[in-house]
Amino acid sequence: MTAAPVAEFHGATKVYRVGLSRRLIRAVIDVRFRVEAGEVFGLLGPNRAGKTTLVKLLLSLCRPTAGSVTRLGRPASDASTLARVGYVHENPAFPRYWDAAGLLAYYGALSLMHEPDVRRRVPELLERVGLADRCREPIAGFSKGMVQRLALAQALLNDPDLLVLDEPAEGLDLLGRRLVHEVIGERRKQGKTVLLVSHALSDVAALCDRVAVLVGGSVTHLGSLESLTRGAESRPLEQAVQDLYAGAVA
Amino acid sequence: MNLSAAIYSIRWLVRDTFRQARASGIFWLMLGVSALCVLLCLSVGARGPLTLGGDGEAAEFVSPRDPAVDPAKAAAQGVDVAGAEMSLAFGAVRLPLARDVRDGVRFLQLLLAGGVADAAGVLLALVWTAGFLPTFLEPSAASVLLAKPAPRWSLLAGKYLGVLAFVAFQAVVFVGGTWAALGLRTGVWDAAYLWCVPLLLVHFAIFFSFSTLIAVCTRSTVACVVGSLLFWALCWGMNYGRHVVVGLPDAKEMQGALSSAVEAGYWVLPKPADMNILLFDALDAGKHFGPNTAMRAARDGDAFAPEMSILSSLLFTVVMLFVAGRQFLTTDY
Repeated sequence: MTAAPVAEFHGATKVYRVGLSRRLIRAVIDVRFRVEAGEVFGLLGPNRAGKTTLVKLLLSLCRPTAGSVTRLGRPASDASTLARVGYVHENPAFPRYWDAAGLLAYYGALSLMHEPDVRRRVPELLERVGLADRCREPIAGFSKGMVQRLALAQALLNDPDLLVLDEPAEGLDLLGRRLVHEVIGERRKQGKTVLLVSHALSDVAALCDRVAVLVGGSVTHLGSLESLTRGAESRPLEQAVQDLYAGAVA
Repeated sequence: MNLSAAIYSIRWLVRDTFRQARASGIFWLMLGVSALCVLLCLSVGARGPLTLGGDGEAAEFVSPRDPAVDPAKAAAQGVDVAGAEMSLAFGAVRLPLARDVRDGVRFLQLLLAGGVADAAGVLLALVWTAGFLPTFLEPSAASVLLAKPAPRWSLLAGKYLGVLAFVAFQAVVFVGGTWAALGLRTGVWDAAYLWCVPLLLVHFAIFFSFSTLIAVCTRSTVACVVGSLLFWALCWGMNYGRHVVVGLPDAKEMQGALSSAVEAGYWVLPKPADMNILLFDALDAGKHFGPNTAMRAARDGDAFAPEMSILSSLLFTVVMLFVAGRQFLTTDY
């Protein structure tokens, strides 16, 4: 377990310029929080709240316009720490010409893993995500749920200290959702950190130790979900979150 | 990242490219074209003297169709009599040769290398492989790759080398296959023809570096196809135009901005026409085709330096890859 925060946003701001008119879009504005080692941290927020941009900043897929981001104690721009990170994209698109086992071996190489470790991990993980019997079939024939399971397997390949899951249960059936829950539970037991981005409030409530609620690019709540429902007027969690979304939007 | 890890990941990117080529059908399409050409070469037959005169010496021979010469008398006097014949399509088409079998084979090789592989082949390879990088860089696919510790430059380098390895493989199959087929059928094993492989590969590598830059900037296959073809045409025009200007009778008196612009354009841009000259020289094409005045003037004068021409084109490639790498490093996904 790492003593330093696994992820830290220091006033991170990301502004995009879009279209011919170079219109400014403020995706993330002055975000400050840290994700501690060993915790399961949730990112909640309505569509276009900036959750995925925050994940991209953490993974150095894009660079902050202002502020800074650290990952595993190093600046996010330092790619070496990515060897200890696993990532499930919100809409994974893998090269359709690979089969599942080949794709994992390919990603293992790009994760700079040792070849024997890759050979050992690939069958283990395919078994874990329930794709062992389909491992030599081209991905082109996979359903969305199977692709999502494969995405989970590739993220776990390097046994990451930080697992970033962006809508991991999207397209999964009940068994698949249970698999995601089990994986997150296992990571927690091993003292690893998970950053979970999800719209599914029930998942976040069941799995996360703390959450950040993002609305309009800013953090409007940071702490446990239960803390949202405490206070003078006691209300159901779902209502509290909805109010938070609506209030900030208004 | 240490070197062995870089090589390991680049090796997998090369493998990925070959899989991509197989899945897209381009691998089989190019092999199919090569197979057709090999079949054509296997259908070649030859009869008559293999070589008139020894290597490096001017051959003395007479044509049997020359009415002023008695072939039997000439042969009795020790003069070679040309009388070779080449057949195509397993004997369906018969072509009398003015000289020897080697000459006929060289002419066929020239058509294959200069016509099929160099002109059409390089452009078709550019078009067919243009989609490889944009597909690779498509955000939802690239995001997962870019979240891996392999540096971005190595991803781009691996993919570029992968496409190069694929084209090299196809060039070896095409040139090696046609060379072996012609050798087996005619007994002519002309190693100079094998120079086509590195020349074609260098020609392709230069223009694919430009396609790589477009792919990184636009992630669009259409932009890569159109951009690289237009750029090739521009470079060819610049290259040829410069040789025309240099070959003008009063070229030395030409001064000023136009002359400087032409020279600058020539040295800065890649030189596909020069690649053509090198290929034709390697195949000793002057025996078969009338000299192109502009090219010949540049080559015979002091305006064409093959080493500098290739080096400056390769320098252009390095610059393009460097700019593409810089752009890729700073692109948000």
